Amino acid sequence: MTRLNINQILALVLVIFSVGYLWMAFQIPVFPIPRPIDSDAFPKILGICLLVLSVLLFFEKQPKTENASQQEDVEPVTESSVTGMQNPKVQVLGTAIAILAYAFLIEPLGFLLSSILLGVGLAYWFGYRQHGVNFATVGSIVLILYLLMSKVMGIYLPTGVLPF
Amino acid sequence: MESFTNLMYGFSIALDPINLMYVFIGVFAGTLIGMLPGLGPMSALALMIPITFNLNPATGLILMAGVYYGAIFGGSTSSILLNAPGVAGTVATSFDGYPMAQKGMAGKALAIAAYASFVGGTISIIGLMFIAPLLSKVAVSFGPAEYFALMVLGLTAVVSLSDKSLVKGLIAAIMGMMISIVGMDLQTGTERYTFGSIELLEGINFLVVALGIFALAEVFYMLLSGNKSTPKRNAIGSLKLSMAEVKDMAAPVGRSSVLGFFTGVLPGAGATIGSFLGYSMEKRLAKDGDTFGKGNIKGVAAPESANNAACGGSFVPLLTLGVPGSGTTAVLLGALLVMGVTPGPMMLEQRPDVFWGVIASMYIGNIFLLVLNLPLIPYIAKILDAPRPLLLSLILIFCMVGVYGLSFSSFDLVLLLAFGLIGLVMRLYGFPAAPMILGLILGALMEESMRRALQISGGDWSIFIDKPISLVLLIIAALSLGLPVVKKMIQKARA
Repeated sequence: MTRLNINQILALVLVIFSVGYLWMAFQIPVFPIPRPIDSDAFPKILGICLLVLSVLLFFEKQPKTENASQQEDVEPVTESSVTGMQNPKVQVLGTAIAILAYAFLIEPLGFLLSSILLGVGLAYWFGYRQHGVNFATVGSIVLILYLLMSKVMGIYLPTGVLPF
Repeated sequence: MESFTNLMYGFSIALDPINLMYVFIGVFAGTLIGMLPGLGPMSALALMIPITFNLNPATGLILMAGVYYGAIFGGSTSSILLNAPGVAGTVATSFDGYPMAQKGMAGKALAIAAYASFVGGTISIIGLMFIAPLLSKVAVSFGPAEYFALMVLGLTAVVSLSDKSLVKGLIAAIMGMMISIVGMDLQTGTERYTFGSIELLEGINFLVVALGIFALAEVFYMLLSGNKSTPKRNAIGSLKLSMAEVKDMAAPVGRSSVLGFFTGVLPGAGATIGSFLGYSMEKRLAKDGDTFGKGNIKGVAAPESANNAACGGSFVPLLTLGVPGSGTTAVLLGALLVMGVTPGPMMLEQRPDVFWGVIASMYIGNIFLLVLNLPLIPYIAKILDAPRPLLLSLILIFCMVGVYGLSFSSFDLVLLLAFGLIGLVMRLYGFPAAPMILGLILGALMEESMRRALQISGGDWSIFIDKPISLVLLIIAALSLGLPVVKKMIQKARA
């Protein structure tokens, strides 16, 4: 059996997604007053379009140039010799986890503290080792953003553990 | 004469000290962000939207127009100094701009870019001033069927003109529309794709998607490609131009500006195609065409005037029809909707302050670019020397603050991450992001137009082909999708 190329794998994922999407479109309740067109029509059209396009993607021939550009894109990831914390995949994963942590900590810790922690922490994670400059730059920019939003624009930002 | 009076009214708004300050902030911030490789006008606009939250719509749009112009200029700067265009619209600039920089004439190339951008912008604003009111008058007669067809054309044009796969472009556009209908259906109150979540009842905010698939995905991509070192840039040198050089670039700038403007008006074309057309036209017309690509000043002047003129041109469909013709103007439309303004043919009558204020401020933005940004460019360009890890972490902070400041919701931050990862997958496997953002912005409007048209016709779908304008637009949309296929077939036959 021939191995599936990346387009075909993505096409299969999209087929499953579009079938699920269509199934949900058929579950959308009908509006009690009869109307020429209801809330489910547009989602059904979109679901069918995506299904057809996914099938087309599955059978689409990958142009050589596209393959080349994709390989060029993917190569640094797959063939990266960097290991540990500096490995690109680990870097992305760590950043994603940091963003998730920020989402859950912004309210209990407060905007100022959590944003400075995120900014300084990520710059360190990305390999920046001048801690003083890191803290001063991120700290001052976050402070400016905080003052601009809370004092000038009147947007409420959580203060968290800090009194202001 | 009427247009002139209206423009004067626009200037009275744009010259308000507060608005002047925002034009400057917009142009300056746009230049800074646009200069960072990978972050183009779409990311710049999305990052700046949070600043418009509490502004009145005229001021907000004035700021955004400044960001747009600034980002295009900033993109040219990184094209010339680093050969790393921040935006697709300035790729053509790097063909001759970078060789000029390597010869020690980076300052000259930047000055040419600024002057050409100024002329291109000026010509496009004049065009916009005259064409927009005319198109508005025509568009007033458009019904929902015509609007639906127009939006279909806008989407297909953007997909067919992108250099990526047609099928992938269409998939991206459909996905964008799918995101747009999440939430409560405003016509019936029915919940769609909310999975019982209260946070999703009001739908997914476009800023979350825009920042996710542009800015956050770009940061992820940079991390993944391991490209975190600070690139070496060429020294800037003198910004002065000789009279002979000014004479040399005058005709190419004029021609490319007009070409760029009309390219910008067309849905889907925009700055990228405008700049390439301008470049290839001048290469053919020039007596020294063989020196293009080796540091010819016309090779910088032509694409720069064309891309700035195309920016002005792209405002025509946005302001008069309320239909964006490109991903960038789709982000602008999203920003306008956040501010509570729905552009369209009635905008000229209902919100002349916004319409004419923006046109006048675009002009002022161009002057700011020339008078302030050009002398400041050696200093602004220092951002390119900033440590990349620090820059990436600050871009992430801006994304998070922008999203949180809009909704105060941790849930939206999680969504931002999800769209960042989706954007990364799209970027890695050749799915264009612009059709997705256009689909997201147009999806809800398309559904509304479709349903209104079908309500008028009593559910008869032939309304879309019975109306002549709608039929013509749909035929053009179908042709625009068929064009790349035919082009491929011809290429195959030739081979």
